Amino acid sequence: MNHRSLAFRLAAWFALLMSATFALVGTGMFYGLTQYVRSSLTDSLRRRSVQVEQILQQAPAGVTDAEVADSINTRVAPDFNNRFVRVTRAPGAPVYRSGAPADRSFDPLGVPRFDGTWPSRSMTRSVVTTQGQGLILSTTPLVTASGRYLIELGTSLESIETLQQRLLALLGLLLPALAICASGGGYLLVNWALRPVDRISQTAAHLSLRNLEARLPVSPTGDALERLSLSLNQLLTRLRDSLQTSRRFLADASHELRTPLTIIKGELQEIVGKQIVQSDVRDRLGSVLEEVARLERLVADLLVLSRLDAGEVQGEWTELDLAELAMSTAEQMRLMAEDRGIQIETGALAAIVIRGDRARLKQLVVNLLDNAIKFTPRGGTVTLRTIRSGLHSILEVCDTGIGIPAAALPKVFDRFFRVDEARSREHGGAGLGLSIAKSICSAHGGQIHVDSQVGQGSCFSLMFPRLPKAVVQEAAQAIRGEHGKPPVLGAFTRDLESLVQSSPPAPAGTVKSITTGARHARAML
Amino acid sequence: MRLLIVEDDPKLAEFVARGLRAEHYAVDLAVDGREGQNNINSYEYDLLILDLMLPFINGSELLRRVRQSHPSLPVLVLTARDAIEEKVKHFEAGADDYLTKPFDFAELVVRVKALLRRTPIERTDVLLFSDLELNRLSREVRRGDKRIELTGKEYALLEYLLSSPCRVFSRTMILDHVWDRSFEGVTNIVDVYVRHLRRKVDDGYPVKLIHTVRGVGYCVRESEPTITPEAE
Repeated sequence: MNHRSLAFRLAAWFALLMSATFALVGTGMFYGLTQYVRSSLTDSLRRRSVQVEQILQQAPAGVTDAEVADSINTRVAPDFNNRFVRVTRAPGAPVYRSGAPADRSFDPLGVPRFDGTWPSRSMTRSVVTTQGQGLILSTTPLVTASGRYLIELGTSLESIETLQQRLLALLGLLLPALAICASGGGYLLVNWALRPVDRISQTAAHLSLRNLEARLPVSPTGDALERLSLSLNQLLTRLRDSLQTSRRFLADASHELRTPLTIIKGELQEIVGKQIVQSDVRDRLGSVLEEVARLERLVADLLVLSRLDAGEVQGEWTELDLAELAMSTAEQMRLMAEDRGIQIETGALAAIVIRGDRARLKQLVVNLLDNAIKFTPRGGTVTLRTIRSGLHSILEVCDTGIGIPAAALPKVFDRFFRVDEARSREHGGAGLGLSIAKSICSAHGGQIHVDSQVGQGSCFSLMFPRLPKAVVQEAAQAIRGEHGKPPVLGAFTRDLESLVQSSPPAPAGTVKSITTGARHARAML
Repeated sequence: MRLLIVEDDPKLAEFVARGLRAEHYAVDLAVDGREGQNNINSYEYDLLILDLMLPFINGSELLRRVRQSHPSLPVLVLTARDAIEEKVKHFEAGADDYLTKPFDFAELVVRVKALLRRTPIERTDVLLFSDLELNRLSREVRRGDKRIELTGKEYALLEYLLSSPCRVFSRTMILDHVWDRSFEGVTNIVDVYVRHLRRKVDDGYPVKLIHTVRGVGYCVRESEPTITPEAE
């Protein structure tokens, strides 16, 4: 989980807020309940206290303390009710004290005496017995004909403490559970809310400079997301327009340069051809003409790039073997390489059948070979290799040349980029060869990749998706095995063959599942 | 032979016209499509050289009209746009040949001559220049009585250079005829092959036949006093 993601942070805040609220509510509940239980306890104590008061007040004159105690025992029954009752007559003579309660929740002997001045009104206080048991006591003063009394009625605080403990336990369990629920639920909710944003970003990721026609989905929700999609779409339109403008400019500029170039070249060539011209002038004009030729190449390269940028498909797309094309091209360039003391090694290349424009693909191979030859010192080797990996075919052009520094590697396909200005200029390149190679490669759905070590050499690899047909053919061959067609698989093989011959070719998914099936079938044999 | 050039760039038109006049053609100029059409309707031409981007009536439209009124007039189209589909479009519209700017004047002359030669191109079986002999049937090359062994590309290169002795062929022309456009601009492949060819043809002979014209290209000729051959 990404700790800095919006979803994570939102969920974390949500969980934090929820937990804080719950903690607050829990605390309130805890104190509120305690208070409520305490006051209802006090009320019940007070009611019993009133009973004791009535006994004392209604006692006829001359009644002994023992008779009073008897009637309290009978009418209030403190032992049975787990209550504590103590009646004291001023200035401190004990009249009555209840016995041990039925539940033994406190020891009546350990309840401390009331110290200090007697209160004028009834009051409630908490005491602790000598045994450490908490009691709540309602203390009421009473004046009768027989004297001043202090009635104390109490009960154990145990019930409140138990309640508090249970509440705490409950809250302690609920709070983490709630925090977990809140964060999990919050995360899910946030993710759900952010899903349209994900969709937008996925669509945006599929857009490329070549494919600026696609637009983001706009759901008419009238909210921020709709506005986001709309403004992104507008941005895309503006981006496409400005790209088109700059591409058109590049193409137009290249075209416009061609007429003046023709005139300059033509006029100069004519002068050079004249017999009266001195040889030193001719030499200088020749030098100018060489620059014109370079300009001409540059204009041609720019035009090629602008066409590839615009996605103009040129020429005829046919099915061809890139490996064979590479080998024949290498053959044509062999003398040039040998002239520089460089060997081109091709060996036997496995076929790479792709669909494409032969002229463009040849230019791609020429550019890569030319690059390899240029930057490989005498005695070096340029090697062509093919690799087949699953649904892809790879053509590698490797050299034992000067290599490319790691810092320059990401830039080698950039336009006008040269690793070493001085060295490249000596070879007359404008730094467009590799970017043309890359553009041609991607126009054919391929990818170009470079690996290099300074002083050891560079390796350019071209990766193309294999034609579904070729993959199926290979699978069919794998099933047949080396010893002819096994009878069990006859039907399956026939199916494969009809799939191979089907037009248009089967979709990649079907091919993949058949290839997997074929592999399993082969494993079973 | 009378030629009409319809080209809106006056300098380019003038340059082409001057070159063609030097080749003894009568050349008329028209600076826009309307003037071009008037000229075509008023005079009899043997060849039309047509730029595609023209004011008033553009080249494509003019080409279409010419095809209707003069179906047999050969048309050579000049353009700055060389996209293949455009080429196909103009061949369909009736252009007989097509040249992309920037072109070599030598190439233009070759195309013009080919278009004016109404009969199929004569192919002599033996090309002879000085004491150099190339036999197209046996693919044998001899200098004096010594036989020279050439590889396929070297042979094609020499055959091309010998097809028009004393004419300077640019690297672009050589690439277009002996290789293909894929090699354009990236390699010095032509120079390497010329060097190898020269070693086989000229080494050990006092008279050098293959010459470099700096900045322009290569040609086959005997050394002339006014032209100093380049030291390679």
